[in-house]
Amino acid sequence: MFLQLATAPALLASDAPPSYKVVSHFPAAKSSETPGPYRGKVARVTSETVIDTATERIDQAAVDKMLSAGIKGLTGAKADKEAWSSFFSPSDVIGIKVNCSGAPVIRASPEVVSGIVRNLLSVGVKPENIYIYERFLDQLTSVHYERFVPAGVQIVAVETPRASLLGYDPKTYVEVSFFGEDDTRSNLARLVTERFTKIINVPNAKEHQASGVTGCLKNLAYGDFSNVARSHMREKTNTLSFIGTLAAVEPLRSKCVLNIMDGIRAIWHGGPFSEDKKYRFYPKLMMFGTDPVAMDRLLLDLIEEKRKAEGAPSLWDRSPNIIDRRAHLDFHKNTFIREPGHIEYAAKNFGLGEYEKSKIKVTSVEI
Amino acid sequence: MLAALLLPSLLAAGSEPPADAVKLNEPRVQYRNNEASATRSPWIDANGWRILRSPGKKFVYQVKGEAAALAAAEAFTYGADALLSADAPGAQTFGKMLEFLKGVPPAELAPVADFGVVDDGSDATGELLNLLTRMNLLYKIEKNPDPTFHVNVRLGTKEYPQEDAQNPSVAAHKIRSQIGDDNRSLRIYGTEVVVGRLMTGLRQARVFLLNYSNRPVLGMRVRIRGGYSKGELRDSGIPESRLADVTQDGPATEFTVPELRVFAVIDLH
Repeated sequence: MFLQLATAPALLASDAPPSYKVVSHFPAAKSSETPGPYRGKVARVTSETVIDTATERIDQAAVDKMLSAGIKGLTGAKADKEAWSSFFSPSDVIGIKVNCSGAPVIRASPEVVSGIVRNLLSVGVKPENIYIYERFLDQLTSVHYERFVPAGVQIVAVETPRASLLGYDPKTYVEVSFFGEDDTRSNLARLVTERFTKIINVPNAKEHQASGVTGCLKNLAYGDFSNVARSHMREKTNTLSFIGTLAAVEPLRSKCVLNIMDGIRAIWHGGPFSEDKKYRFYPKLMMFGTDPVAMDRLLLDLIEEKRKAEGAPSLWDRSPNIIDRRAHLDFHKNTFIREPGHIEYAAKNFGLGEYEKSKIKVTSVEI
Repeated sequence: MLAALLLPSLLAAGSEPPADAVKLNEPRVQYRNNEASATRSPWIDANGWRILRSPGKKFVYQVKGEAAALAAAEAFTYGADALLSADAPGAQTFGKMLEFLKGVPPAELAPVADFGVVDDGSDATGELLNLLTRMNLLYKIEKNPDPTFHVNVRLGTKEYPQEDAQNPSVAAHKIRSQIGDDNRSLRIYGTEVVVGRLMTGLRQARVFLLNYSNRPVLGMRVRIRGGYSKGELRDSGIPESRLADVTQDGPATEFTVPELRVFAVIDLH
């Protein structure tokens, strides 16, 4: 049993971070694991034809080309199979961590997920050893991934029904009290601790009212642990330190070997659940990397630039006068004081990746 | 104080309650999402504090349907002599619960408390006791502070001023912080609708778990201070139920109750 006390000093906020107790019997990450073999490297692929913005129909062929260009751009491999084989072998049991919190409006596109599945099958992974997973069943089933992937591929929700702890590992958790809540534990999904050998993280590109943006780190952290919504109350959110703390817990950290961000469509305000189309935009982008921090750093710029263009306050604006519970109706407002600093916090306190823009190497391909 | 834990008098109907009987609420949970409150937790109508506050008294429940089973279990948990008036469905669920309670073996056990509360009989102290019960903070009701406890609470003192009584949630959290979560004899994770009671005896502990909601609680985790190597779960709704993932965590024993419908008794040895 390893007890990791993560009580790093506050780097980016005036408030001291809460005191975390991390309990896991899995060994700490080796230096070769997250951020993986491509620290600070991001392969960025865009395609003008990947989505029809009027109908929001996604073109599968364009997605497949983006996947091919992205994985080769990241690894330097000449062929798709060579690239995917560098991460996965036929004996692997793979979890594809989709993001369905904004479903059915915005989610890990089934076209992207089906492309990933096809590439896994091509390197010999058995369909029954591929799991598309998310925490909540209603969100997951609203996307209908089953229509896009071969029979045998498993589509499972961790928390079924909601509030059940049966899908979580009672021996792997983070204990912390944010606001005096009595249930102070957040447990890691059993699929992660007991079933998967590797994870592919497939977040969206979204603004988030609490964490500033929700990309690789947030999808991994809040998408694999129980009882995480307790980190927000009134205008205060603890996402600054909680996201990195969760994402660094073993074996989640070591098993997540690849991040593929679906930025074909994106949200610039009201995330993560935004249903209002006026806050949606279409970067027509996918990003590939093993370094979640570097990818999220680029996401920050993407969302911040769009907000600036729309005349919305910066993600970094902590003014009390912008706090309003009805912020989804007005992009000048927000529900919480956002914590986009969670990305730098995860880099500095947990070594989860490269935050310094000057050290991030981006390879860009346009299809 | 050790006392044999026996089935208290539980009468379904027909008897008249004594004039000084303490009337109890129908045990249940209320979700008050649209009301401002000091806590986001659901409101539990639990009677344990009322029963503990009035030792030797008779109690009376007026309940319907499934609440009759929970009322019987609640009275059993706190050793109350209770008269229960129920409708026809309630009488049926009461009967089933009574059968279950008869199967719980008697044992020499004493209630566990982590701190004392001096009860001045006021409404404010009553409200504090109510909240402490719902938060699974184990207290002993006292006439005077008990020196064996590190924490003794008396509202109206410098440490627990009357202003605290205006907001019992603040006082309850202060007490919790004084005890320290790691030192609590009983912790329950994964639900806000279950109230527990812990009793111990020679090489044995017994945990009572009362589910106040009308839905099963799945996968709740329980942490008990003390080392126990064997555990036996008796669930009123699932006869074949077993404890899962029993672990020793330093000075504590933890286990998972896979499904709790209404009431469970766990014996640890």
